[in-house]
Amino acid sequence: MNTLSPPQAAHLTDTPDTVKVFVPAAARAAPSSTLGAAAWIRKNMFSSVPSAFLTILGIWVVYTVLNGFIGWAWTNAVWEASSRRDCLDKVGNAGACWPGVVVWIPNLIYGLYPKDEVWRINLAFALLIVWLVPLWLPRVHSKVAIGLSMVLLFPLFASYMFMGGEKGAIWTALIAVGLTGFLWTVLTAVTETLWGVPVLRMVARKFGATTAEAESRIGQVVLLALFGVALFIVFELDFVEVRTRVWGGLFLTMVISGFGIAFSLPAGIVLALGRRSKMPVISLLCTTFIELFRSVPLITILFMFNTMLPLFLPAGVEVNQLLRAIVAVCLFASAYMAEIVRGGLQAIPRGQYEAASAMGLGFWQSTALIIMPQALKIMIPNIVGNFIGLFKDTTLVSIIGLLDLLSMARAVGQDTLWIGLFIEPFFFITVIYFVFCFAMSQYSMNLEKRLNTGHKR
Amino acid sequence: MAIVESSSLRPAPAQAGSWLNNAKVRAVLYQILTLAIVVGGIWYLVSNTITNMSQRGMSAGFEFLGVSAGFNISFTLIPYREGDSYLRVFQVGLANTLLVAAIGILFATIMGLFMGLARLSNNWVIRNLARWYIEILRNTPLLLQIIAWYFGVFTLLPNPRMSLAWSDLFYLNNRGFYFPGPVPEPGFGLFLIVLAATVAGAIAYGVWARRLRERTGRILPVLWPVLGIVIAAPVLAFLLLGSPLAWNKPVLQGFNFRGGVNVPPAFCALIIALSVYTSCFIAEIVRAGIESVSHGQTEAARALGVKPSRTMASIILPQALRVIIPPLISQYLNLTKNSSLAIAIGFPDLVSVWMNTSLNQSGRAIPIVAMTMGFYCAVSLFVSLVMNQYNRRVLLKER
Repeated sequence: MNTLSPPQAAHLTDTPDTVKVFVPAAARAAPSSTLGAAAWIRKNMFSSVPSAFLTILGIWVVYTVLNGFIGWAWTNAVWEASSRRDCLDKVGNAGACWPGVVVWIPNLIYGLYPKDEVWRINLAFALLIVWLVPLWLPRVHSKVAIGLSMVLLFPLFASYMFMGGEKGAIWTALIAVGLTGFLWTVLTAVTETLWGVPVLRMVARKFGATTAEAESRIGQVVLLALFGVALFIVFELDFVEVRTRVWGGLFLTMVISGFGIAFSLPAGIVLALGRRSKMPVISLLCTTFIELFRSVPLITILFMFNTMLPLFLPAGVEVNQLLRAIVAVCLFASAYMAEIVRGGLQAIPRGQYEAASAMGLGFWQSTALIIMPQALKIMIPNIVGNFIGLFKDTTLVSIIGLLDLLSMARAVGQDTLWIGLFIEPFFFITVIYFVFCFAMSQYSMNLEKRLNTGHKR
Repeated sequence: MAIVESSSLRPAPAQAGSWLNNAKVRAVLYQILTLAIVVGGIWYLVSNTITNMSQRGMSAGFEFLGVSAGFNISFTLIPYREGDSYLRVFQVGLANTLLVAAIGILFATIMGLFMGLARLSNNWVIRNLARWYIEILRNTPLLLQIIAWYFGVFTLLPNPRMSLAWSDLFYLNNRGFYFPGPVPEPGFGLFLIVLAATVAGAIAYGVWARRLRERTGRILPVLWPVLGIVIAAPVLAFLLLGSPLAWNKPVLQGFNFRGGVNVPPAFCALIIALSVYTSCFIAEIVRAGIESVSHGQTEAARALGVKPSRTMASIILPQALRVIIPPLISQYLNLTKNSSLAIAIGFPDLVSVWMNTSLNQSGRAIPIVAMTMGFYCAVSLFVSLVMNQYNRRVLLKER
C-alpha cells in the first residue's frame, strides 16, 4: 500500500488546465445472440453438439411417450360401455376402458362402506376441513391450540362417525370432548376474525371479568357449557354400526395414514427426547425401540401384529384387524420420526440450550419454547417426507387383507363385468397417490420458504 | 429488578422433602418408574403369551427347524428339494433376499447416478425429463409399482412361442427372461486365477501410486494402465487357454424353453420396480452431494493449474462422496428391506417363504418372527457399524 501512495498522490495533485467532464457513451444494446427465446433455446438446449443430440433424443422420448399415452387414454379410449367385453369389441387393447373405473369410483373411494351411510364419511371430512380452515386465516392467532385440538380430538369424534353403533358412557363422553373441540375451534375462529379475541375470553369479559384469573375461571365454565351442548348433540346422534371389515378404498388409506401422522409426531418427539436423555435407562429403552423398529421392514411388523397380537393379549380379548394395522403403522412411523427429530435437535447449537438455562428455564420450558420451535422448523422437509412415506406405506396393509385403495383397484379386475381390467384402475389410483404425495412435498417446500427467517446461510 | 434478585442468591434451604427437588434423585426415580412400567408391561405380555400358547398347545422352541417342510419353492438360488428341512427353507429365503438386494443395489446405483447427473445437466430438456422421472416415480407407492410391473407388464407378455427375441440369445415371454448360461470347461479355474491376480495387482498398483503421490507429489498415470492390464491380461489368458467357457443357449422346445438361465417374471418385476424406485432417491442424493461442493473448490483447483479430470477425481469427488455415502447406504438398506414386498407378487424371499408360508404351515409364530426380525436387525446393525467406522474416518480429515 505504502509503495503505491506517492505516485497516486502525484497524479491527484496534477490538475489540468481545462476541466474535462467525462461523458460516458450510451450503453450499447446487448448482443442479439443473448436476447429472447432463440438465445435461451440455444443456451439451454443446443449449447454443443452432444447437448443438441440429447435435446433431440429427449424430445423424441417425450413425444413417443405422450403420443402413445394420449392415444391410449383419450383418442382410442372407450367412455361408454356396459362391460369389458364391450370395450374389447370396440377398440381391443388399443384404448383405455374407462367405464369400468367410473362405475367403480365409489368403491375405490369408500370401499364396501354401505352406500346409504357414506354421507357420514363425507360429513366427517367436511368437518375436518372446517377445522383446518382457521389454520390459514391470517387473523386467527390460536393456531397452535386449534392444530393440537384437531390432531388430538378429531380422531375421537371421527371414529364414532365412521363406526357408529352402541356407545357406552365413557365413549359418549369422549365423542362429546371431540365435538367440544370442534365447537370451540369454530367459535374461536369466528371471534378472532371479527374481534380479535378468543371466544372464551370474550364471553368472560361479557360477564364482567377483569383479571386474568377471573377470565380463565369463567372460560372454564364456558368450556363446560360447550361440553354440555356437545353432550346433548351426541346423545341425539344414533348411527348404524358399520364394521371396520367393510371400510376400504381411499377412505381407509386416509384413516390409517391419518392415525399414523397424528400419532407419530408427538411419539417421535418423546422418543427422540428420551434417546437424548442423560438418564441411561430411558435412553437405552428409547434407543432399543427406535433401532428395532427402524431395522425391520414394515411388512414384518404388520405380520407380527397380525399373527402375534392375539397371543400377547389375554384370552377372549379380540382386536380387530384394522386396529392391529394402525398400531403397527403408528409404532413404525414414530420410530422413523424419532430419528428425524433427533437430527433436528442435534442441529441446534449448544448455545441455545445454555442460553435457555441461563434465563432460568427448566428442561420442559426450554425444550418447548426454545429448542423445539427451532428444531421443528429445520425438520419440516424431513417430517413431511416421512408423512409422504407413511402415506405410501399404507398400501402394505393390502398384503394382510385390508381393503385399501390398492386392494380395491385390484378388485376391479375381479368384477365379473370388468374381468381382467387392470391398467385403467391402476392408472387412476396412481394419479391419486401422486397428487397427494406431490401436493404434500410442494406444500412442505412452500412452508420451508415461508418459515425461513434467514438463519440459513 | 433482576440485578437485585440475583444479588440475593442464597444456599438452597434444607427443608424436609427437598430431596424430591434434587435433580439426581428425581432422575433415579424417573428411571425406576419407567423401568417398572416397561418390565411390568413386558411381563404382562409374556405371561399372556405363555398362557395362550399352553392353551393352544404351541411351543416356542426351535426344534421344528429339523423337520421336513414339505412344500416347494418356485425360485431358489441354492439347491432345495421338497423334502428339505425348515432350516433349509430359511436359508433359501435368505439367499433369495440377498440376491434381490445385491442385484437391485447394482441397478439402482447405476440408474440413480445417471439420473442424478442428468438432473444437473445444462440441457433444459434433459434436466426436466430427469426431474419428472424422479417426481413421478418417488411419489407413488413402491408396492403399487411392483404390482404394476408384474401384473401390468410381465404377465401380459406373449407366451414362449411368440416371445420377444433378441439375436437368438435373449428371450422375453410370460415365463420370464431367458439368457445364455455360462458353462465352465477345464481350464476356466486357471482363467479365474489370472483374473483375480490382475485385479489384485491393479489395486496394489493404484494404492502404491497414491502413496507415492502423497509422499513425493509425483503423479503416475493410474486409470489407463490399470484398465489396460485388467482387460488385456485376462482376455489374453482366455484366448491362450482356448476359450474355456461354453454358453448354454435357451432353445424353444414344444411349449417352453430349455437350457439357458431363466429369470422368472416375479424376479424381473421386483428387480425393475425396486431399482427404479430406489434410483430416484439415489439420484437426489447424488445431486445434493455434487451441489454441496462449493464452486470455489473448482475455481481454486483451476487457479492452481490442476487438470479438469484430476479436479473431479481428487478434489470434487472426495468431498461430494462424504455427503453422498451415508444417505446412499441408508437407501441400500431401504432397498433390502423393501425387497420384502416380493410377497405381493409371490416371489419367494425371506418374508414370503419364511414369515408367511412356513409360519402358516408350522404355526411356530415366535421363533419364526424372531428369526426374520433377527436377520434384518443383524443386517442393519452391521451396516450401521460399518457406517460409523466410515464416518469416523471421514470426520478425522476435517479441521
